[in-house]
Amino acid sequence: MTLQRCLYQVSKQLISQRFILQSSVRQVLCKISYKYSSNTEKKFSDRHEWVLVDKENIGTVGISKYAQESLGDVVFAQLPDPGMQLNAGDECGALESVKAASEIYSPVSGTVTEKNKEVEKKPGLINSSYYDKGWLFKLKLSKPEQLNNLMNEKQYEEFLQTDVEKDHT
Amino acid sequence: MSQSMMRKFVVTNMCVVAGLTRRTSARSLATSSAKPIKEAQVLPPEREITKSVFMSQSTDIYTNLAMEDWMYRNMDFSNHHVMMVWRNEPCVVIGRHQNPWLEANVPFLGDKEIALARRNSGGGTVYHDRGNLNITFFTHRDRYDRKYNLEIIKRALYRSFGIKSLINERQDIIVRDKYKISGTAAKLSRLTAYHHCTLLVNANKADLSKALAKREHGIQTSATPSTPSPVVNLADLDNRVTVESLQTAIGYEYLRTPALHIEDAGERHISQQRGFQFVNPTEDWYPGIAELRKELTTWEWCYGRTPEFTVSRSFPVPPELLSSKLYSASQELIISMTVEKGLINDVTLNIPPGLIESGFHGEASVITHLKGKRFTSEALAALENAMLTRHLSGDVRKLDDKEQFVAKCFDQVVNTV
Repeated sequence: MTLQRCLYQVSKQLISQRFILQSSVRQVLCKISYKYSSNTEKKFSDRHEWVLVDKENIGTVGISKYAQESLGDVVFAQLPDPGMQLNAGDECGALESVKAASEIYSPVSGTVTEKNKEVEKKPGLINSSYYDKGWLFKLKLSKPEQLNNLMNEKQYEEFLQTDVEKDHT
Repeated sequence: MSQSMMRKFVVTNMCVVAGLTRRTSARSLATSSAKPIKEAQVLPPEREITKSVFMSQSTDIYTNLAMEDWMYRNMDFSNHHVMMVWRNEPCVVIGRHQNPWLEANVPFLGDKEIALARRNSGGGTVYHDRGNLNITFFTHRDRYDRKYNLEIIKRALYRSFGIKSLINERQDIIVRDKYKISGTAAKLSRLTAYHHCTLLVNANKADLSKALAKREHGIQTSATPSTPSPVVNLADLDNRVTVESLQTAIGYEYLRTPALHIEDAGERHISQQRGFQFVNPTEDWYPGIAELRKELTTWEWCYGRTPEFTVSRSFPVPPELLSSKLYSASQELIISMTVEKGLINDVTLNIPPGLIESGFHGEASVITHLKGKRFTSEALAALENAMLTRHLSGDVRKLDDKEQFVAKCFDQVVNTV
């Protein structure tokens, strides 16, 4: 009887260990696949934000060409402070243009590591250099797999096409 | 035979699918991947949208702003467009990213008990009293159309009062070539948008210009500046215009216009809408509104949300405070501060040598005691206290001439027009 119980315990331990191992192996594999997959390209959300993730899992967020065009001249940028925890889709600041104050949403989850102080001083950078100097903030991604829910540039272009079509029907 | 029938069936079936989900199919064909890409919401056609005119029963600026915010957060405007009309007791409303010390005459507001509020939308500072009609247009984000809203107002002015107006490139409504009767601002989010504006009917123009007076301030900031314009009251153009008659005129114009394009759809269209409704912005009607209102009344929101700024001013030192005649009248005391979140962060005092030689030593205490204080008279009180504590040893608990001079200069930095 005791022996039986002992055997049972051991086998249970083994199984759970194997399970843990497996899942950690899976995690590592995932990480590797993120590191070497297409993360060097910008990913776009349906609300016209872009995010570019580097090898250290830090994402740089900005708004697309289309978004800055429809906003018009940005006159003020209110950006999230470093340390702020964000979930994908969270409201995390606002851009004020001559037309309206528009909310900024984070395309992915993570912790803000930096905001673009240059843009705070010169919001016009968002219009003149939307994919480069006009970035808004950086964040450490907590769920890098969310990148899979975003569009690549080509898909985003197509999305814009259908969005425009929709507006005219 | 059966095969071709089958093929035909499949083809028609596919057409139906393609017709129904044109956007999805286009995307999946193009990308040929199974990645879940978010769809933009398909909005109902114009004929399915009905319209309401809400008339707020509150005249409190914070309550009305909370009402706007509540509707913006909680209501779905995809098949229901709403125009809310509201008016307020005297107040000054600044834009979301503005500096109240730069835009409004804060001491004057205090004296006249005029409220100061910061709204959520962008744009510049406006003055409201019972002589203003405020209008907010709510729509789905994708159907936000400022031109349409302003056009409704323009048409109502003409249809009911024969007043001709035009909409300029800044989207202000202008009469008689240059006089502004309306400012405009908006807020957009993922799903909802609102556009609001205020119309001058018979506002107190004297108070308006005093409340918005610019001062000799020396403030440097990246906050959104206002664009001052010459204004006129609509009642001065035609005495039939009152806040009530204008509200009715614009309300009917809104209801007789189709939801997505400007056209007069006539009286019959009005009867198909949801009409005028009184709304009472209270917690009973709108749970959660009290909390929103409370937030809007806090110092942290109204003043503390001011984008960082620096202020620097110089004051000539009166010759009688200087120790010797060696120093000419060019001696100046310079006070510079950076203010973050409405709180004083960094202070630099540039004390002319003449003042130091005559025995002023307050510099260090001034600087350390001001940090973290609100950019208001609170900071002045802290400064005076700090200087007084140095007199502890002696019997005289009174500021000397030089200290009084520094305090007076400081008062001017935080309080004057």
